[in-house]
Amino acid sequence: MRPAAPLWVLLPALIVLPLLALLPGISHGGGWELVGQFAAAALRPSLDPIVLGSVLGGLAVTAGMALLGWAGSLVLGLVLGIASSRVVWRTCYGSAAPASWIRRLLAIPRSIHELLWGLLLLQLVGLQPVVAVVAIAIPFGALVARVVSDLLDALPTASLEALRCGGSPAPTALFTALGPPLLPQVISYSGYRLECALRSATLLGVFGLGGLGTELRLTLQSLAFNELWSGLWALLAVMLLLEALMGWLRRRWAMPARLGLSQRGVGSQGQEMVAVAMALLPVLALVAWRLEVQPATLLQWQGLPPLGAADWGAVAALPWPSLIGNTLLLTLVAAALAVGLAPLLLLLATPWPAAGALVRGLWALGRLWPPPLTALLLLFVLQPGVLTGALALGFHNLGILGRLLLEAAETSGGNQEQALLTAGVGPRLALLYGRFSGLARPYLAYGAYRADVILRESVVVGLVGATGLGSQLLEAMSSFAGDQLLALVLAYALLTLLGEDLSDRARQWLLETPHGDGHPQEAGGTWR
Amino acid sequence: MTSLLILQDITVKGRSQPRLDGVSLQVDAGERIALLGPSGAGKSTLLAVANGLLTPQQGRVFWQGETRARSGRARRRQQARIGTLWQDLRLIEELTVQQNLNAARLAVWGWPRALLNLLMPLETKACTTMLQRLDLDPTLLNQPVSALSGGQRQRVALARLLRQEPQLLLADEPLASLDPRLADELLTLLLELASPPRALLLSLHRPDLLSGFDRVLGLRAGRLVFDQPMASLEPGQLEELYAGTPVA
Repeated sequence: MRPAAPLWVLLPALIVLPLLALLPGISHGGGWELVGQFAAAALRPSLDPIVLGSVLGGLAVTAGMALLGWAGSLVLGLVLGIASSRVVWRTCYGSAAPASWIRRLLAIPRSIHELLWGLLLLQLVGLQPVVAVVAIAIPFGALVARVVSDLLDALPTASLEALRCGGSPAPTALFTALGPPLLPQVISYSGYRLECALRSATLLGVFGLGGLGTELRLTLQSLAFNELWSGLWALLAVMLLLEALMGWLRRRWAMPARLGLSQRGVGSQGQEMVAVAMALLPVLALVAWRLEVQPATLLQWQGLPPLGAADWGAVAALPWPSLIGNTLLLTLVAAALAVGLAPLLLLLATPWPAAGALVRGLWALGRLWPPPLTALLLLFVLQPGVLTGALALGFHNLGILGRLLLEAAETSGGNQEQALLTAGVGPRLALLYGRFSGLARPYLAYGAYRADVILRESVVVGLVGATGLGSQLLEAMSSFAGDQLLALVLAYALLTLLGEDLSDRARQWLLETPHGDGHPQEAGGTWR
Repeated sequence: MTSLLILQDITVKGRSQPRLDGVSLQVDAGERIALLGPSGAGKSTLLAVANGLLTPQQGRVFWQGETRARSGRARRRQQARIGTLWQDLRLIEELTVQQNLNAARLAVWGWPRALLNLLMPLETKACTTMLQRLDLDPTLLNQPVSALSGGQRQRVALARLLRQEPQLLLADEPLASLDPRLADELLTLLLELASPPRALLLSLHRPDLLSGFDRVLGLRAGRLVFDQPMASLEPGQLEELYAGTPVA
């Protein structure tokens, strides 16, 4: 008895059963009235000009931080990606060994979440606009570097070898042979990173780094739900616009979809892409000027409170097994919720267009709504702890996975589903058999990657307490316990590197299609 | 006896000209009908109207005397009686042969059986019989479809069609991408299977394969230009049908 592909995507949803059994135990039920007020306020956002002005101002700061952090990460990622590419080293230097070393080094900044970078920099240089920008640019840059080097190393090298044999110098040959096929993939991925940067900039705001996130947290904590919804609706509008714009550009430039199963042509209209990139430069300069981003301030460290002598005995006495265990449990529950619920909800909503629209709306909210705010909202009715944190992270990632699943479902398996529908099969079963069969492997491969991201993200729900390493780390940070902080950041980094390795193996295994003609690189193989 | 399919004055609009323009026809049990016409004549559109995939802007469709049912369940029951053999077969690559064959029963199965079939494929005996009937090795049942050869895939698609137990078999150029031997084999099988109470409506490009059919329809630019017994078809009619168009 071996479950067939369509069942694989639904199995993680079984996590809902134990959760439903456990929820009454962690529910204190005190704040249902508040939750009701929060939900009702969605329909009555505040239209007060002062509130709207502050929302728009905050949104501009968040968008600006996201744009600058994103641009910085691209520059960093491209340079480091080329520097860590095996094919580049092999062509220029004759050996790929340095590439492997640079890759290993890049794993460290990548393994630390942007929130940690943000909070660490905040302590060092104080509240500066540049902090959020750099906090986004460092881990995103390391991530882009890995994707760029993976993409470069996966490109066919026949034309490169031909040029080298013809006597072209290494840099020219690399640029000519690998540049054109790399460009559309990098641009497609960059568009997706911009969406991520907007989410991250909002999240950093929640932790006090400025912009709309700060407004959202303050309005939530002061229970000003109508004002909170003014910010949320504005953020939702910007995020959906950005997603639509990126989708349009992807289609216009015939670029690969993130979870596409079909072979797409190499992007066209290169001139237009370069023109858009050039047009971005003055925009970036203007944004940096308006936000008063001054990189020089990164070098002016503020006086820190005197750090006590390191007490490594106390560090060792931390409840490490439970900290790590809780972090892993939180990750697994959140990942199972996100991975399993997205296809289940899609399946349930399929026959009714209105239900489908509702589910899409829910996913959009999940994507934009920063997980720590969900966690704070959940605290109105649930006790703090691992499950509360997992629900918050699960909801956020459900939004991301749901959208991805929808995108993929729209571009693959349509013929099989149509064949079943015309044979009288109901819409849900046609979706399950016809579309989910082909989607299962790439979707779960992406889910494995997402679990790795969730592990890294688990720090952001640390503020609800008792969530493992995340909450301990935030506590160490606020009490200036440098020794604990160092140990916890290292533990986090090690755990996420281990998680990354496991998720890579899981993805490779899932994308191995012994009989099929799947294209692992396209089918979520490199997307992060 | 009620006709399996009646199309009355069907019009499907296209961008510049109608894809179907006032087409009427009737298919009775036991009939084996070939649908001929040059590329772009509207053959696929006609079959899509016949299997309910496409709703015409004008005209009426009757399946066994009934118009298209309003309720989803009743409509699915109607559609389950019409089986389509697709040119690209539309098998589900990731599932086993047995699960693919059983996918044809999903219209009548409930959720529990549909899910169970994904866990441990059901109705092995019926599936084995179906494979044997099409000269396929029953050990293929547990193979994923992606591991089959081209000829085996054709037969599995046909087995799935039969497992649906349809009364009207529709086939949209099933022979187009096959080598001559496979095309002959498949056509022979289809003609054998289309015995009463079943009927077959098959579109094809090759007039040389018409001998097994009872009736032949000629479609050009969305209009039915002839509908007559095979025996009375004149070579001149075919020349006229394809005049000025490349015979692909």
